[in-house]
Amino acid sequence: MSVQVTKTKAEQMLTEAFAGAEAALPGSDAVTKLRREAIGAFSALGLPTRRVEEWKYTDLRARLADSFPVAMDSVSGSQAIGGLLDGTAPGLLPGLNAYTIVFVDGALEPRTLPEDVKGLEVLPLATALESVPAWVEKALGETARPADAAVALNTALMAGGVAMRIADDVSLDRPIHLVFAQSGSEPKLVTTRVIVDLGARASLSLVETHVAMGTSVRQQNTLVTLALGEAAQVAHVKNLTVDKGSIHLSNSVVRLGARATYKPFQMTTGGGLVRHGLDLRFEGTHASLDFAALALPDMSGHVDTTLVIDHRVAHCTSRELYKCVLDGTARGVFQGKVIVAPGAQKTDGKQMAQALMLSPEAEFDSKPELEIYADDVVCGHGSTSAEIDEDLLFYCRSRGIPKAEARALLIESFIGEVIDKVEHEALREALVARAGAWLRAGHV
Amino acid sequence: MLEIKNLFVKLAEEDRQILKGLTLTVPKGEVHAIMGPNGSGKSTLAYVLAGRDGYEVTDGDILWNGESILGMEPDERAAKGVFLAFQYPMEIPGVAGLTFLRTATNAVRKKRGEAELSTPEFMRVVKDKAAKLNIAVEMLKRPVNVGFSGGEKKRSEILQMAMLEPTLCVLDETDSGLDIDALKVVSDGVNALRSPDRAMLVITHYQRLLNHIVPDRVHVLAAGKIQKSGGKELALELEKSGYAEFTGKAA
Ligand SMILES: Nc1ncnc2c1ncn2[C@@H]1O[C@H](COP(=O)(O)OP(=O)(O)O)[C@@H](O)[C@H]1O
Ligand SMILES: [Mg+2]
Repeated sequence: MSVQVTKTKAEQMLTEAFAGAEAALPGSDAVTKLRREAIGAFSALGLPTRRVEEWKYTDLRARLADSFPVAMDSVSGSQAIGGLLDGTAPGLLPGLNAYTIVFVDGALEPRTLPEDVKGLEVLPLATALESVPAWVEKALGETARPADAAVALNTALMAGGVAMRIADDVSLDRPIHLVFAQSGSEPKLVTTRVIVDLGARASLSLVETHVAMGTSVRQQNTLVTLALGEAAQVAHVKNLTVDKGSIHLSNSVVRLGARATYKPFQMTTGGGLVRHGLDLRFEGTHASLDFAALALPDMSGHVDTTLVIDHRVAHCTSRELYKCVLDGTARGVFQGKVIVAPGAQKTDGKQMAQALMLSPEAEFDSKPELEIYADDVVCGHGSTSAEIDEDLLFYCRSRGIPKAEARALLIESFIGEVIDKVEHEALREALVARAGAWLRAGHV
Repeated sequence: MLEIKNLFVKLAEEDRQILKGLTLTVPKGEVHAIMGPNGSGKSTLAYVLAGRDGYEVTDGDILWNGESILGMEPDERAAKGVFLAFQYPMEIPGVAGLTFLRTATNAVRKKRGEAELSTPEFMRVVKDKAAKLNIAVEMLKRPVNVGFSGGEKKRSEILQMAMLEPTLCVLDETDSGLDIDALKVVSDGVNALRSPDRAMLVITHYQRLLNHIVPDRVHVLAAGKIQKSGGKELALELEKSGYAEFTGKAA
């Protein structure tokens, strides 16, 4: 990678933002060192362009004109968070009986931290970065020496968030719901980090919601690291709305121990620019990934989902199902890279990406990539892009179903297959309702 | 009353005339059969009645109860009582049969100014009608027609018809792909719907169906128009002589 000679305005602003914020960012000396290395890496990498393979369809350098002022992890105090806690605020998931932890502009609302939950240790990010227990150190190690600009920026600027550890054999009785809300009317750069560590046979249902309450545009950079011990299980639902003019860069860095299972599901709506990165590595045999994502961008939205699945060891299974419904000039991107290391025999990897095109101006880009260095594996991928089936539409209409309703029915049937992957019933119903609301907001 | 007047239909995408001056009247309370060789335009007629895209009416008119339906959308026609049982019923992955039936039933009820059915009311009606057609409710929890056998698909069409309570029933080769037992179930289902308020147009290639659904009139469609009309005995004649006489005329 060559060093870019001319820096864009945004690149300069981001580097300066770090210099300005550094003294106030939380962390031990070791963390400060990590941050400096990360901003150095970012300076060398620059914002990604189409020439960076992982960013082929999202030219962040061209799309990011400037950087917004950094939001710090200060206690925001008097925020009205009632609707965030009970799920009644728009974009939230009502009916979810969860431990809800609220962040406003990245800042943790301390009174929402769950207390005295057996087997669960929760630390505000700032505390975790000061004390750096071994499990936090290990998690931070996974994002050290970043090759990706968004990851580098996250390490450099992470201000708010939480670190959680679940002890061996503990299954939490309720999901943990992390609600990241954005308030106010000022543009802000919000950088959050979530660290999750599960002991052997522990299990967790983790839900993340990202939602704007105010009117401001945001640049958000979120990163979640998940380390799953032997036979640990995580269902990880991410529910987000990113409004036009805002940018949401997210990464999940997941490490799976033997027989662990990870089931992520993402549902994205809104007219902003969204990038979901997943960097997943199988570190123990017989582990599995069951990934599902649904992108429902608004007319001008851009949702890029880029996965790198690293089958390092034998006998692991990975499944990816991606769907998007694209209207207006919306763009959906799916890149799924599956690497099967030499010796990762009996790997079973399958992926499918499907787009339903509601407009001729919409664009879907799908790029599967298989790098297979073992010989006894089953790997496959498929990709489809189609409009609403006119024959089916006629069939529905001949039964008296009006055109808009018939289209909604057919779109819902397309979407249904992927939402059905969410096992938690209340959560699934809330997501179905969110998708239905999206549909009825002028997309049929 | 259904009145098809001097109907000319061509394919929208191709310069090919399929129906060439078809005239036919079916009064309420009567069942008329249309028979004809393969490719004579029977399904085309059915689709044009239901309002499918891809066909262009270049002349003539279709009146249902005195009103032209040609300018109406398919769902408007359904609300007016038009129902087509498809020759090849379609599969709708991801939409449960019950959801589909309920959406359709309530859509037409709403358009007709009738109250929508509540879930318990709907379930009671659908269970009753499904039982008469030997359809298990379990089957209706599956996506519409997906993985159904030929016979199951045809029974599912008749169930939709029974739920929507149409006044003009068009059945396109409902007998194709049915064994004798299924044929009996389907015919009983159709016969149960015969009523003084309903007109039925039964399209078939074979006479066999008409032993079960006995028509008031039989028409022969060939070369784009009705070539001959008669009573139910005409179907038996055709069974013996075939359609050669009429296709000959076309040449
Ligand atoms: N949508 C269509 N596109 C192309 N050809 C069609 C279409 N519909 C009907 N046809 C043609 O019109 C003729 C009549 O077809 P159809 O109405 O299906 O006849 P039938 O039902 O009597 O067998 C056939 O030659 C058929 O190939
Ligand atoms: Mg036909």
